[in-house]
Amino acid sequence: MPQKNILEMKGITIQFPGVKALDGVDFSLREGEIHSLLGENGAGKSTLIKCLTGVNRMDEGQILLDGREIRPSGPSQAMELGISTVFQEVNLCPNLSVAENIFVGRQPMKHGQINWREINSRAEELMSRFHLNIDVTRPLSYYSTAIQQMTSIARAVDVKAKILILDEPTSSLDENEVQLLFNVMRELRANGMGIIFITHFLDQIYAVSDRMTILRNGHLIGTYGINELGKVELVTKMVGKDMDVIFNLKRAEVPGDADYMLKAEHIGDASHVKDISITLKKGELVGFAGLLGSGRTETAEMLFGASRTVKGEIFVDGESITLRQPFDAIKARIAFCPEDRKRDGIIGDLSIRENIMLAVQSRKGFMHPMTKQEQTELADKYIKLLGIATPDCEKKAGELSGGNQQKVILARWMAAEPKILILDEPTRGIDIGAKAEIQRLMLEMCGEGVSVIFISSELDEIIRCSNRIIIMRDREKVAEVDGSSCTQQDILKIIAEGAA
Amino acid sequence: MARKNFDVSSLMQSKVTWAVIAELLILLVCFIIRPDFFSISYQPSTGMLYGSLIDIVNRSAEITIISMGMTLVIALGGTDLSVGALVAVAGAIALKFLRWDVLTYNTPGDYTVCPYIFVLTVPLIVCALMGLFNGFLVAKGGIQPIIATLILMVCGRGVAQILTDGKQFTTGYSPFRIIGQGSFLYLPMPIIITILVVLGVAIFTRKTAFGAFVESVGVNPSASRLSGIKADTVILIVFMITGLLSGIAGLIYSSRIMSNDSNNAGLNFEMDAILAVVIGGTNMSGGKFSLAGTVIGSLIIRTIVTFVYYFGIVAEATMAFKALIIAVVIVLQSQPVREYFAKRAARRGGESR
Repeated sequence: MPQKNILEMKGITIQFPGVKALDGVDFSLREGEIHSLLGENGAGKSTLIKCLTGVNRMDEGQILLDGREIRPSGPSQAMELGISTVFQEVNLCPNLSVAENIFVGRQPMKHGQINWREINSRAEELMSRFHLNIDVTRPLSYYSTAIQQMTSIARAVDVKAKILILDEPTSSLDENEVQLLFNVMRELRANGMGIIFITHFLDQIYAVSDRMTILRNGHLIGTYGINELGKVELVTKMVGKDMDVIFNLKRAEVPGDADYMLKAEHIGDASHVKDISITLKKGELVGFAGLLGSGRTETAEMLFGASRTVKGEIFVDGESITLRQPFDAIKARIAFCPEDRKRDGIIGDLSIRENIMLAVQSRKGFMHPMTKQEQTELADKYIKLLGIATPDCEKKAGELSGGNQQKVILARWMAAEPKILILDEPTRGIDIGAKAEIQRLMLEMCGEGVSVIFISSELDEIIRCSNRIIIMRDREKVAEVDGSSCTQQDILKIIAEGAA
Repeated sequence: MARKNFDVSSLMQSKVTWAVIAELLILLVCFIIRPDFFSISYQPSTGMLYGSLIDIVNRSAEITIISMGMTLVIALGGTDLSVGALVAVAGAIALKFLRWDVLTYNTPGDYTVCPYIFVLTVPLIVCALMGLFNGFLVAKGGIQPIIATLILMVCGRGVAQILTDGKQFTTGYSPFRIIGQGSFLYLPMPIIITILVVLGVAIFTRKTAFGAFVESVGVNPSASRLSGIKADTVILIVFMITGLLSGIAGLIYSSRIMSNDSNNAGLNFEMDAILAVVIGGTNMSGGKFSLAGTVIGSLIIRTIVTFVYYFGIVAEATMAFKALIIAVVIVLQSQPVREYFAKRAARRGGESR
């Protein structure tokens, strides 16, 4: 086991207007190690990374790379020093080929022209190191998110990096793809690279890392070997509260004779989903389990009118309704938090106030405007209720952290007073404290008689919250199980093997 | 004290502030060269005020009116290239109604062949419908606005030519003259019409939720749709408003020259309108818009033109000179410059504390 530190960060302090983002944080990375960096949103992980890559200037402290002090002035200089970063959102060009993406900006030249043969053969070689035998001349958009992620790693690795920073690389990958990524990470580790790994998935930390460093509110909590700290202790240290308190959630209680709030009979859309039937009682929480692409999202979109239902019938509160567009669903008091928060949820350039009032206002129509006073009151109410971290409701929603953006979208729909709330991956990419809060809110709304459909890739949270779980596979509903009596193993088995 | 410093800093960040500063600078230069630039006098014979400043506002009327619509189109993330052509269409229709059968009524005079109400309303209705056509192509056809409006930009002038058999009619009908050359409350009529249009658009967008919907669709159409906003309807209304406003501008323009000019009426108006919006601080990629900023943008463009005329800069250099000043304004508004001054303001605030 090599023990040499390739990177040492000492006493890093960064002062933002009015707040100390980092306060005397120490961090070290050894050669050939995967080091997880943990903390809630806003704990200072990203700030520490940005300091290392020269995006943020530090006020105090020093960074030693291989024992020599460095002060990178920006990401490109950091890259020259051997520090490469792969960000959460893949920032490549989808219309260029895989090979072009790897070499863009530093194409090998021959006689003043780009040497395509070398680009393609070197790209192929790089990808095969990751055990990916793909056609590197195809456009990047042709491949899955996992391969796109690998491409950005390949790009990072090819610039002779000593340190690789992976910022939430797994949040849009499925289980197999995550394993693929881990294999690549282990391979790189064996070659002596130091990897800083940031993720919200606790299991993944234990699966792949050697050490972990925990930050909270800009302070260093500690650095631990992976076997030194159990999951519960880890979460307690991250959140600063007891995990039991966070997860003390109770499933919604639904009387057996409760009315059906939603009934969908044999619905299907134009392309993907053929025939699905769903019932949802008043105050009930139904979970949708299944892999990405299993038809969960497509079904939810039909129920919200975001995609056209071409077959079957939907009943809300006993009445048959036709959903041509989301507006119709909102009129029927159905709400939908989409999976892709950035593309379909948050309206980044508008204020928190405007984001929250939007669904209420669109139901009323623009000729019946809410006054600014009313909007502010509404926004302030939900900022307080959901604990959205912001100085005031006029801050741009796009400037909030992921968890707080999710809360803003949730607030938009809570303000619309829905009878049926559909949440598609509401807890993805947000920290464990915010996750627990969103689950608590969901269950509270059930208690108030709202019926909830909860879609998630994380089985433990589905099982923790759901009354019933609908399991989807290959765009079909394959099973329906009771939430209180099933285990993760049961569900995984059904997902893997088909109907129970 | 801290509060006040914060405001200075954010003021420096605003593009509208820089537009105002630019306008004041140009006016200051005018004043230095010709101290009488600001003088305003009353002309009892016409019952109107006269002066360079009045002239600037008066002559900017068409662009200001059109750019009110253009602001909304740009806030949606689009552009409307057809506005100039619609100005020509409106003029052609108005003159067609005023003269109708030119062979019978072969001398222009103080008369109208068709009822005056047609002269006023039909051009506006046709322009609104043409705007609706633009909106339809964008909203239902999914065509990029710049391409969709290119169609009417090209064929609009053709329609205007056909309507008037390729001829240029003139008229002497005095009620029609009032639109572009009359006065009300000592002010030229175009200024009055502009004020009404600006107020109308401001009330429609800011006193209802329409403005917020436009901004929301401009920032993120997909999320807006999923929040229940009928994006298609918003797009249709915005393009229809822009068409209608182009029609109003067309009536003013043709009343000024008491004629139709299908080739030159409204020529390059789309460019000036887009420029006015951009100088006014609305981002071409859509989102937050500022009607007040656009008004100032339009005034800046007109001030430059007046400046050029007033100081006898040779005609050949006019365009280059205009471009030069606009380049300076745009640089003043660029992100680095604004941030530099915002930081300076913030720092100075910090020191004095």
